[in-house]
Amino acid sequence: MNQKGIIGIFTTDWQMSDAIKRLREKNIPVTDAVTPFPAHGIMKQLGKESRLPFFSLAAGTGTIILVFAFLYYIAVIDYPIIYGGKPFFAFPTFVIIIYMLTILLTFILTVLAFQARTGLFPGKEIDDPVHRAGDERYIGGMTDDRFMVALGGEEGLSGEMHESASTILRESGAKEILEIKRS
Amino acid sequence: MEDSFKIPAKSKLLGWILAGVGGIAVIAGFMTDPSRMWAGILLNNFYFLSLALGAVFFISLQYVTDSQWSAMFRQIPGAMMLYVPVALIVMIAMAGGMGWIYEWARPEIARQDALIAHKSPYLNIPFFYLRLLVIFGAWLALIAALRKFFLREDAEGGLHWFRKSKHYSMIFIFVFGVTFSVASFDWIMSIDAHWFSTIFGISAIMSSLYYAVAVIILLVIGLNRLGYLRALNEYHLNDFGRYLFRLSMVWGFLWFMQYLIIWYANIPETTFYYYYRMGEPFTALFYANIIINWAIPFVVLMSDTLGRKKAVLLPMCLLLLAGFYINLYLQIMPGSIGELNFGFIEIGSFAGFAGIFLLLVMKGLSGASLIPVNHPYLQKSLHHHI
Repeated sequence: MNQKGIIGIFTTDWQMSDAIKRLREKNIPVTDAVTPFPAHGIMKQLGKESRLPFFSLAAGTGTIILVFAFLYYIAVIDYPIIYGGKPFFAFPTFVIIIYMLTILLTFILTVLAFQARTGLFPGKEIDDPVHRAGDERYIGGMTDDRFMVALGGEEGLSGEMHESASTILRESGAKEILEIKRS
Repeated sequence: MEDSFKIPAKSKLLGWILAGVGGIAVIAGFMTDPSRMWAGILLNNFYFLSLALGAVFFISLQYVTDSQWSAMFRQIPGAMMLYVPVALIVMIAMAGGMGWIYEWARPEIARQDALIAHKSPYLNIPFFYLRLLVIFGAWLALIAALRKFFLREDAEGGLHWFRKSKHYSMIFIFVFGVTFSVASFDWIMSIDAHWFSTIFGISAIMSSLYYAVAVIILLVIGLNRLGYLRALNEYHLNDFGRYLFRLSMVWGFLWFMQYLIIWYANIPETTFYYYYRMGEPFTALFYANIIINWAIPFVVLMSDTLGRKKAVLLPMCLLLLAGFYINLYLQIMPGSIGELNFGFIEIGSFAGFAGIFLLLVMKGLSGASLIPVNHPYLQKSLHHHI
């Protein structure tokens, strides 16, 4: 068990995305990429796909129906009152409330779903590829100005893969290359 | 680097045929029904003027926001803006048809109708044309300046012309916001001189951008099929699709904003506008307007996977061109002629204006190199990815 994981730390997103592209061309498995902001296209480069948009769509559709039912209950069933000569069921007045509440609730539900799915909540212990591999070091700047690519993860990389991976990382302009120590 | 655009003989022939059909239709229209023809000319002219100015607005937005993805497409909206001088000529020729379209331009009505008499210090023919000339003067000056900067940049290079273009883009957006509001109030809204809507101007501005983007997409895809703009990739199309999607929401929002306020207030002075348009014979068009311009693009382009496909964008843009016609038809025809006419005169005159527009765009594209070779963001745009 002397296989090791490897971490490349970059200072720009395009260097990182370049490195990921070249690593995947060589069939070296990339475990994870950590960026301080949502970098477009990284998911696709990692060969992963987010299902969050579909959740948003479902939440939005559900919210439209829910808010409509809520307004219909208020205006027609529970407290029917004539104002401005309008009928009880005055759809145009509903539209803006449906529009606004749909945006608000869809946003909140999507954020909550994201937090639940990624397991991010206040008081959570540090969980990044380094710590998952059993290395106790803390690598700073991941939420600030550093871009991290983790290779090997829990299983580690074989000897020659390790060689070519560090070459690619160095050539793509990695500022730091760290080896993950296995406990 | 790609060489410059050569006008395909077929397209040129098509342009001239369309223009010829338009000429016949306009003559036939004046022989049979002048009021219908004048309204049709106003509609078609405003249609293509909106596209031309929307294209300039599009370029200006790209400059002001320092957008990099769109740099390689700059020549296409840059060629669309050549229609503006034609629009000026047609608007001046409209002097002969003022009485046919605008109620306030008929002296006998202007004297009898208390409301129109009250508005006559603003709505009278000399002041109308004074405003028109000032507005067109501002547009032509800015467009000539922008075109000069683009051509000089292509020839000389350097950041100087880019900075100037950016500066003039800021001026254009400000000037366009004011002048196009006034223009739409004057030329379109004053057809129903008893009615007013303060949101009309911004609706016209956003419509012009919306449909201009649709035409830019059509031209980009068309040029790509002819073998130009080879660097076009799915990410460019994705951004274009997003533009259409967002603008369909803006269009729907503004349409509903105008409708809701009038519906809510329920004052006869303003509701009659919708009363005519929702009743026969315009009912079907009224609902088709919302479905084509908002509902279909909103639902179809919501998905990124669909919104980046040429097979989706192409029919969507063609549908939106029909949608823009319906949109303007509902703004102009019920107030001016009050009946639903759609026959050879309408189709023919639209084809004529479309032919002229096509010829001008092709001329504009062939004048300069098809890709802005010295644009500072060109490389970023050619290799655009997300």
